[in-house]
Amino acid sequence: MHVETLPFTSNPCRSPRMKTLDNPSDPLLHDRLIESIALRRDREAFAALFAYFAPRLKAWLIKSGATPGAAEDFAQDAMLTVWRKADLFDSSKARAATWIFTIARNRRLDMLRRDARPLPTPEIELAGEDVRRPDELLSMSQDADRVRDALSRLSPDHVEVLRLAFFMDSSHSEIAKHLDLPLGTVKSRIRNAMTKLRLILAPAEEAAR
Amino acid sequence: MNPQRNPSEERLLAYAAGTLSPPEAVVMAAHLAMRPANDAWVRDLQAVGGEFLDEATPSALSQDALALAMARIETDAGEVKALAPLNDMPELPEPLRRYALSPWRWVGPGMRVRDVHAPRDGDCRVILLKIESGRETPKHTHGGIELTCVISGAYATETERFDVGDFEEADTEVLHQPRVVSDEPCLCVVALDGQIQLDGWIGKLIQPFVRL
Repeated sequence: MHVETLPFTSNPCRSPRMKTLDNPSDPLLHDRLIESIALRRDREAFAALFAYFAPRLKAWLIKSGATPGAAEDFAQDAMLTVWRKADLFDSSKARAATWIFTIARNRRLDMLRRDARPLPTPEIELAGEDVRRPDELLSMSQDADRVRDALSRLSPDHVEVLRLAFFMDSSHSEIAKHLDLPLGTVKSRIRNAMTKLRLILAPAEEAAR
Repeated sequence: MNPQRNPSEERLLAYAAGTLSPPEAVVMAAHLAMRPANDAWVRDLQAVGGEFLDEATPSALSQDALALAMARIETDAGEVKALAPLNDMPELPEPLRRYALSPWRWVGPGMRVRDVHAPRDGDCRVILLKIESGRETPKHTHGGIELTCVISGAYATETERFDVGDFEEADTEVLHQPRVVSDEPCLCVVALDGQIQLDGWIGKLIQPFVRL
């Protein structure tokens, strides 16, 4: 990497920070990096965040059918949006990975828009001016753990089919082809996975439905 | 109290994953603004997406990727994106307020339509449909998927009733004739794919004139 030419400190990829990134012992590290960008326009924090998330965003787009070049452009654009919108990040509402995922997902939705008309769009479901009760905020701050824990309690088959639904450009028939399973099986597996996830995440809410 | 009509799990998942077509996503966003429980569920699903992103096996970037990114933020002048003005319908849920709207046009007795200038996707587009109390649409099927969210009023099909915030998914299999059952007119936001196909000989006769 040609980071020597950049105006900030040493190669961020060799800093001690990167070690913790590859094996994050601090689960809130990424949240803090985004907050640091918001507060101080911290370029080093951005470089660290980029090093972690850009290759993952690229991987996601490649899986969903983009060429490596297009996938990398997408990752670049998504990370630039992260830089611009860092001050909208609220760690009590979503953890870093979810927030970046949501930004990237909105960009992807924009990309899929075949109509090139400029967007008069309120960005769909980004951190915005939503009104939530304080007790709700409290419960959301535990979301990261809740969701991770819930995923760990699903069967590997269920996790796989959900992952494909997120990361392949996911008509169910493509997923069926990928898994070499009948379409009906894939559909019911996705449905079952969602039902289980709901039961684990929100038993009360499920009962009310 | 009627049971709530919610989107299918598949469609909620597709929305969270960003794979719904843009017009469908517009109708879904309106629904979620009116149904906080589903909104919370979608947020959970987005957290699932975040987990998957976190766990993804990274793809190597090109050598100069970081340098390029750093150069871009150095020269970044921010996003040039003026917020579109609010449209003239304060009764719409917030996600629909900043789309430009065409004038109302008459499409049948007691039925009026406005185009929502949200991004189209091929033949799929978004409309607002306002039907007077007691009126019904002509019996029809669809050239593609039709997603509907009720903003005010209520309608009923042969088998189900849809109230404020409810979400209906109809595909090419469904032949229906929704009728407005509220005292006030029923206002819906609809993602429509393909032309609706009117049923019966009168329908066939007027089909050429009914372009939604």
